[in-house]
Amino acid sequence: MAATEAPGRAAAGGRAGRLRPRRRSAADRRDARAGLALTAPALLLVGVFALFPLGFGIYISLTNWPLVGAYHFIGLSNYSSLIHNSVFLQSILFTLKYTAIVTIPIFVVGYALAVFVRSNRRGTTLFRTLIFLPYIVGLVAESFMAVVELQPNSGTANFVLSKLGLASETTAWTVHTGLATTAICILVIWFASGLTMMLLMAGMQGIPTDLYESARVDGASWWGAERRITLPLLRRSIALSLIISVVGSFLAFNQFFIITDGGPGTSTESVVMAIYQTAFADTDVGLASAMSVVLVIVVGLITFIQFHYLQRDSD
Amino acid sequence: MASVRSGQQQSGAAARASAAANGQAPGRRDGRAGRRAGGRARSGLALFIIGGILISAVFVLPLIWEIFRSLQPESTVSNPPSGASFSHLTFGNFKTLLSGQDNILRNVVNSLIVGVLTALLTAAVSTLAGYGFGLFRFRGSGLTFGLVLLAFMIPFQAVLTPLFLEMHFLHLLNSLIGLALFYTTFNLPVGVYVMRNSFLQVPREIVDAARVDGASVTKTLMSVLRPLVLPGIATAALYAFLFSWTEFLGALSFMTNDSLFTLPVALSNAETGTYGAVNYGLLLAGAVIAMIPCIVVYVGLQRFYVRGLVSGALKG
Repeated sequence: MAATEAPGRAAAGGRAGRLRPRRRSAADRRDARAGLALTAPALLLVGVFALFPLGFGIYISLTNWPLVGAYHFIGLSNYSSLIHNSVFLQSILFTLKYTAIVTIPIFVVGYALAVFVRSNRRGTTLFRTLIFLPYIVGLVAESFMAVVELQPNSGTANFVLSKLGLASETTAWTVHTGLATTAICILVIWFASGLTMMLLMAGMQGIPTDLYESARVDGASWWGAERRITLPLLRRSIALSLIISVVGSFLAFNQFFIITDGGPGTSTESVVMAIYQTAFADTDVGLASAMSVVLVIVVGLITFIQFHYLQRDSD
Repeated sequence: MASVRSGQQQSGAAARASAAANGQAPGRRDGRAGRRAGGRARSGLALFIIGGILISAVFVLPLIWEIFRSLQPESTVSNPPSGASFSHLTFGNFKTLLSGQDNILRNVVNSLIVGVLTALLTAAVSTLAGYGFGLFRFRGSGLTFGLVLLAFMIPFQAVLTPLFLEMHFLHLLNSLIGLALFYTTFNLPVGVYVMRNSFLQVPREIVDAARVDGASVTKTLMSVLRPLVLPGIATAALYAFLFSWTEFLGALSFMTNDSLFTLPVALSNAETGTYGAVNYGLLLAGAVIAMIPCIVVYVGLQRFYVRGLVSGALKG
């Protein structure tokens, strides 16, 4: 970031430095005032709707705050009770399992699609647009469609699968933990691969073509060039797409809320759903906030670890 | 540091794209070898197009299929499919949804209001902040920029509960404006990042010339810089609109009055049968109504969307 700014800053700084070594000029002061005024609205919004709630959440997590009524401090009790909170622990395990299942397929499918659409051949732009559409339409609308199509006896899923002999007409997808998870994972892989494709494709197009030409001259195979040129130079894009996909999976809510409502029981309840239920159904805001703080830390750690692991070798 | 490299990547991609656009296909040989290569390229192109159509179908056919399904009467949608399933298509579901007793027209309008408001607010606030961060030197600018980008690291899902209480105190629950302010905040990291880069790309001489001519800070922005950063503004607004239109969890938490529900929340109530028996025909039609604006807006403005992806808007 610093270096992108450098030209403008160096020019301005250099000029001011030469002409007025000690005092700041009137123009500099005007600049400072204007800069502060221009960025104030953004800072105000972020302060009010992101930073304050984060601090407030930590504060609430140390109390027994109910949705309405008085509260008092209970120290770290919310956190220590989380260790024995089976619903929360199960939601973490389930979310981890779900994330583990979808991440690799999203990446592999996304990578293959990126290889397919990275050229500038005729038609590529159209294919990119079409493959990206499920992501643009959004998981909420698609989850409602999935609810209808996963119905036993009337949904398209069973109709097609029974013709292929893979399922019966009466398979009830949304009321079995395994079947529901399978269906949701397939839906999400279909939904999210397009984003990975776009991110990786953007990275691939930044790799100079002459690298591939010299590899071809050296007699490298397609896979050899892919492994020795594309993958190493694509590390940043790969890290980014993995972080977005893993964090996105870890924060999953819509598809589970809409398709299974966490059921049967709470077996398909994601972490965010568990927080939502604790806050708004059980009205235990203190406990929900403690869960949220844990979630912020976990998501931060995932981002940090993936970023560092994938960055390390490229530097 | 991180974004420097993505900036270089971007210019590399741009150069390559423009080279390709100018028809400078690398390594064109002449003579017989060239003709043979051309023949191979043509059959390769045919394979590529057939493969592309098949792959695209996997991603688009389900959506098209749902449009057809939403045109079936309710009795067809919720009964075992048969060969005659598509012999009788009707707009009945849509008519019921948009004009019936429990019509969702109000919810569509709510979603539109919040979406447009979010897009406008994000565009305005991001433009001002991008202008400030890009072209002005002031103490604390690095820290402020870092704080704005920090909102990218805070998942809004994780501050939902404290935010609910805070918005209650501020009387912003059950308020379309409150929802738009919330959406705007979490679109700012992308918006500010894109806009700051847009202003940094403006040639320094233009800014200096405007200053020498005595143009004020506001006048410089409105009459000199605005046309130059308009694509960036479109990118920020487009991201914000699509985010707002498809967002569910926040709207579900902050809206409790059904007349203020956005479209996804209204559909979720319809799905759980809050308004009586679940009607799958109506649910599908509602989902299609939610889908259409995304497709129209994206297909119309996709170069701005892709521009945001490529410029590393999401790279925080």
